[in-house]
Amino acid sequence: MTLALLVQSAIVGVSLGSIYILMALGLTLMFGMMHIINFAHGAVYMLGAFVIYYVFFQGGVPYFAAFVTSMMLLGVFGYLVERSIYRPIKGGIEPTLVALLALTTFLQAAGYPVFGQLDKHVPPVFPGTTNVLGVGISIERLMIIPVAAALVIGLYLFINRTRLSAAMRAIEAAALQGVNVHVVNGLAFAIGFALAAASGALMAPIFKLDPMMGEQPLLKAFIIIILGGLGSIPGAILGGLMLGLIDSIVATALGAEPAFLLSFVFIILLLLFRPTGLFGYAS
Amino acid sequence: MRRKLGVPIVLAMLAALALLVPALGGDYYVHVFALVFTNVILAASLRPSLTCGQLNIGHSAFMSVGAYTSALLAKNLAVPFEISLLCGALLATLVGLAIGYPSLRLRGVYFAMVTVAFVEVIRLIAQLWVSLTRGMSGLSGIPKPSVLGMTLTSRASQYYLVVGLTLVILLVLWKLEHSRLGLIWKSIGMADNLAQSLGVNIARHKLLAFMLGCFFAGTAGAFYAHFIRFLFPPEFGFLMATNILVYNYVGGRGHFVGPIVGATFLSLLSEPFRGSPYETIFFSIAMLLTILFLPGGLITLPRKLAELRSWRTASAPTPSPAA
Repeated sequence: MTLALLVQSAIVGVSLGSIYILMALGLTLMFGMMHIINFAHGAVYMLGAFVIYYVFFQGGVPYFAAFVTSMMLLGVFGYLVERSIYRPIKGGIEPTLVALLALTTFLQAAGYPVFGQLDKHVPPVFPGTTNVLGVGISIERLMIIPVAAALVIGLYLFINRTRLSAAMRAIEAAALQGVNVHVVNGLAFAIGFALAAASGALMAPIFKLDPMMGEQPLLKAFIIIILGGLGSIPGAILGGLMLGLIDSIVATALGAEPAFLLSFVFIILLLLFRPTGLFGYAS
Repeated sequence: MRRKLGVPIVLAMLAALALLVPALGGDYYVHVFALVFTNVILAASLRPSLTCGQLNIGHSAFMSVGAYTSALLAKNLAVPFEISLLCGALLATLVGLAIGYPSLRLRGVYFAMVTVAFVEVIRLIAQLWVSLTRGMSGLSGIPKPSVLGMTLTSRASQYYLVVGLTLVILLVLWKLEHSRLGLIWKSIGMADNLAQSLGVNIARHKLLAFMLGCFFAGTAGAFYAHFIRFLFPPEFGFLMATNILVYNYVGGRGHFVGPIVGATFLSLLSEPFRGSPYETIFFSIAMLLTILFLPGGLITLPRKLAELRSWRTASAPTPSPAA
């Protein structure tokens, strides 16, 4: 592997890692509040990408507006899922997980008749390549990094400036202090779904679109939050960057599938020696 | 008292009905019902793990291990069916140990996420190890099952084999659930910290329940391999794993017959849609509706209906004699 190739795959890795971070942050946020894992996260990523296909590519709306539309639509969808699935189950963790699993398979299966059997493609928003340290990098991939970073910083400020951060740490205590738990949970669902939609919307011009496209990013996000520790935001960010780099560099050297197998072996070993992940706290 | 008698009666009725299938229906029904029984084994073998409060979303991976092991041993080394089936089940159990030991000591969601990822790991291995599994071309030419050196050539005889396997496995699981071990599992599922304070080694018991499930999933996979005689990696994917979980929830978590009812009901009902995307749509809607409106599963349906009826008669205390 030449140095140029290494630089190139490192940049691609950071860009890939940014997507993973957005996915993992939503998951970790929802886990922190409700102790549930959102199995529908991958399906929401897929829907986020399809909104770009229909609104930006078919509808001719500017990309930025389509991007915001995608986040808003799926944020509302997240709120509705909280109202219609999470809230009626009344905090039963296991039934909620199974219900979210059912929602996922429903959205994926319904995707085929609704979106069609053929893969969809979104034309590049930022075509061409640019020169970074003497290596050609696609602008499309490069643009993901600042957008994701802006979203992460925005989320961080939002959580810390509001009482959401207190609610994330101890929802019961926050409820005692007069925080409306339903509103907070609804907000967590909305933010989590909007972040997954943002990841899908950012990836839409790069990968092909099909109803199962969310499965891989979901598994990556799982690996990241096991790696970083459940409920930890710094853990999700560091884990996302690490997995993005592993994915890009190992995949360039050996192929995408060995990269996935390697990361799985890695988390099993990590669980053996550091069971709560790199930043996680004990239950 | 009624509860205790209920299960043997249901099992006996099922067995009687099952034995009549080849006589009443043709090869198509024999085929369909053989797969129903495979699903019953898979669903029932997930129950001990679920009873412990462990959401195993990767059961199809262990089925896949059992299926490929048994098929390859029989095909490449001419190992007799009984031995290859046992080897498949044992390897599935060993793999379960390797996955379960690190992840079961943690809270449930870690385990759930590891099992989901593991489905993908097994699928990739089956897909990439082309020299052994033939990858995406699929493994074909798997020998038919045999018992004591006699090859079971007819569809009906293979069907009786799976009926027998199912009955034995259900009996073992039923006995275990009503033993001291079953009570321990239940106590872990209800309040693991309380169980731990009473001196129960929760990690070991969770692992045991999980490995038992892997053993029977491997058994079901081995039968499946020799019955269908063709293995294709994506078949044992995420969807099948979810379905096995769905059987348990739609049937009902509260009683031993829950997964049996769920697997039978859903497998038969989805048969007309098999292979089309509508099968999955139907499955997921059934699952969502059950969780939201019938949290106890189908097995609580008779009681719910009775409650509804008594509520109605109670709200209308003087029913008109004309009605």
